[in-house]
Amino acid sequence: MNKIKYLSIAILVLLGCYGSANAQTPNDAIMMEGKQACVLFEYNYGTFYKYWEGSDLRENQTIATVYRNTVMPMAAIGIVDRLNFYIGVPYIKTKSSDPNGGQFAGAKGFQDLTVALKYQILNRESESGTFSLLAGVGFSTPISNYLPDYMPYSLGLGAPELSYRAIAQYEMKNGIYFRGGAAYLWRGYAKAEREYYYNDGSYYTPWMDVPNAITADFSLGTWLLEKALRVELNYLGSKSTSGDDIRAYNAPQPTNDIEIDRIGIFAHYYFPNIKGLGVAAYHNQVINGKNTARIRTTGIGVTYFFNYLKNKSQ
Amino acid sequence: MRSLIFFTLVATMLILSSCEKELPTHLSFDNYAFSTTDQDGGTWNTTLISSTYEISISEPTATSSSEYQQELAELKQEMSQMSDDERNAVEYWSDNSTIRWNEIALELIAKYNLIPGYNDDGTYTLPSPANPAGPPAFPFAHPPYAVRALAYMSVAQFDGLITAWHHKYIHNRPAPYQLDNEIEYAYMDNGIPSYPSHGAVIAAASKNVLTAMFPLEAEYLAQKEAEHLKSLLLSGGYVQSDIDAGKQIGDEIASIALVRASNDGMKNAQTPKPVSDSIADAAFDRYGWKWINKELPQRPVGLTPLYSKVRMWNVPNVEMTRPIPPPAIGSPEYLKDVEILKDYADNMTTERRRIANFWQDGLGTYTPPGHWNEFAKEFIVKYRLNPLRTARTFAYINMAMMDGGISCWDAKYYYHYPRPIQTIDGFKTIAGTPNFPSYTSGHSVFSAAGAEVLAYIFPQEAAVVREWAKEAAISRVYGGIHWTFDAYIGTDQGIDVAQYTIDIAKSDGAD
Repeated sequence: MNKIKYLSIAILVLLGCYGSANAQTPNDAIMMEGKQACVLFEYNYGTFYKYWEGSDLRENQTIATVYRNTVMPMAAIGIVDRLNFYIGVPYIKTKSSDPNGGQFAGAKGFQDLTVALKYQILNRESESGTFSLLAGVGFSTPISNYLPDYMPYSLGLGAPELSYRAIAQYEMKNGIYFRGGAAYLWRGYAKAEREYYYNDGSYYTPWMDVPNAITADFSLGTWLLEKALRVELNYLGSKSTSGDDIRAYNAPQPTNDIEIDRIGIFAHYYFPNIKGLGVAAYHNQVINGKNTARIRTTGIGVTYFFNYLKNKSQ
Repeated sequence: MRSLIFFTLVATMLILSSCEKELPTHLSFDNYAFSTTDQDGGTWNTTLISSTYEISISEPTATSSSEYQQELAELKQEMSQMSDDERNAVEYWSDNSTIRWNEIALELIAKYNLIPGYNDDGTYTLPSPANPAGPPAFPFAHPPYAVRALAYMSVAQFDGLITAWHHKYIHNRPAPYQLDNEIEYAYMDNGIPSYPSHGAVIAAASKNVLTAMFPLEAEYLAQKEAEHLKSLLLSGGYVQSDIDAGKQIGDEIASIALVRASNDGMKNAQTPKPVSDSIADAAFDRYGWKWINKELPQRPVGLTPLYSKVRMWNVPNVEMTRPIPPPAIGSPEYLKDVEILKDYADNMTTERRRIANFWQDGLGTYTPPGHWNEFAKEFIVKYRLNPLRTARTFAYINMAMMDGGISCWDAKYYYHYPRPIQTIDGFKTIAGTPNFPSYTSGHSVFSAAGAEVLAYIFPQEAAVVREWAKEAAISRVYGGIHWTFDAYIGTDQGIDVAQYTIDIAKSDGAD
């Protein structure tokens, strides 16, 4: 059963990353066995009042406080024992608080469909604990015609993304674990609805080159209450490999060079008496960055596990 | 399984890395044979100078002279040592370099089209030519500033080229590649005499005007000019004395243009608050309404309230082009518009959003006049215009659009009509509401004026460009920042204003 629980945590951690427009693929060390599936439904609430224009943290009364609400259904499926498949798509709604100086309409709609595969390369148990090593690939792409060139209200970056990820974890017998992950995110082009834009020079095209990024994440967590509750502290760092700065008092655009340092807490509780059901909650904050919002996101979710094929040996 | 994943990963990466494409930063076009050479171009009417005789250049040396032969030898020496960068520069600048300088102007407009933000204490600091580095940097290249920069550059280019054509066909000096078989010309042979070099006129005139308009870019522009002048030499089309004579014309015509610019009233266009308030109060006394800025913190003064007083190019008096008053606030016509705007906001369609964004040309972009310069550029290449007619096209479109802007600003501050977000409670927009009154729409006037000039010069495209101008006008209504009558009447206003320029164009000797 524990492995099933782990999976829902995996999804939760993944989902928690959406609120900061920093989509991740499954980034933990937890695997689900073949013929098992998990569904998750999540709601999160993000808000920011300040953002980094280049490296300068500023407020902007034109947009006042920006809200970003997300609901997201997601599913994870164990294809075979060491290979998991993930699929999810968030619905996002953005707006500014009133009063604000810009009177811009917010945006809403489905953002990007994400599919991902994760493969367990190594899972070695020793007397003191378990070491595991995993690799993943993911792909996401917009599934609605949301406008990426409408920041800060745009739902996402508007570009296809491929992620290549490596994850390592060590879990001690007493339930304490450390995890580290690194990813390379290849991003394609976002399409604006204009034929000219400035990106340290003129571009005569609606296509905007969305910078690729590298990310690193670290977690420290533990199991409590006889493995009914898991709590975790985590850090995520993300850095574009190219891009331009937001210009003075100007809107961001998908070509920007983004850096994010984010910390978070996470908890997942499994009802011991209701088979397969869990609830999770998290909160994270961007604490430092470049050309990004100092967003704080709080999320809650429900997870449910089941076997999608019978007579599964556990 | 492991190897399968690895293989998939590598394969996808390879496929995707091959998708990385070069995004266009300028218009690519092949060198072309000009549709005409306009040997009588030196007789066409000028704008800044009363006649081409105002700028004289020295008699060129004969091609048989030892001085010229020395120049030719130096040219061959330079060409034999051309670096790859220089070769690329020759290709980039082309034989119709007005296109490149227009692109440079648009780039600087986009770079400087940033509205100053507020200070920590809620006040705003205006860009000042006395302290260009700021912050905020000078200039704020908003549409009125942008179209004025484009107009001065284009008119200087055109007068400069008329002057060059005048001298070219007096002296009829052949090009180096015509005199020496060993010299391979980089461009199409259009048989236009080389003295003075028209490219050098364009380089110097453009660089000087743009340096005055964008003082922080002096170094960048000087470097562009040097690269351009060098590329003329390396093209095999000009010896140094051809280039020097062209540069002299360019320098002189730019000085004349900049004297006009310094006295055209632009420096008073951004008024102090008491003047701005009195303009608003005058409108309120007249009509019972006035526009107010809704930003937070509130901007104390709208954008260039006295742009209406800037000297026009071809309209004798701005009031001749002032439109009828807009519908009174609360009138049935006004209330009908409120319903239209609410309906558009509540039922945004993909097509209306696309139109609103396509024509937005807002902060950080090349502005609506810039957009119409881009259209002009594409038609110039499509119809293979020579450099003289290229400059003529830009000169007339930018004069007409600047006159249109002045006329539009006259209406804006005379009628001082509120924006939709001011009078419709809780109204939200998908475009940024600008810091000036609503009636009439700048986009509508600029676009109609630009379209009319393009329709005159490229009659085959008349229907197309007029349709674009109407779409640009209505785009502002879709964006939620203009009333329908701002757009419709603005379009009529632009057509009206442009006619003054077109009348002058029709009698300049080119038709």
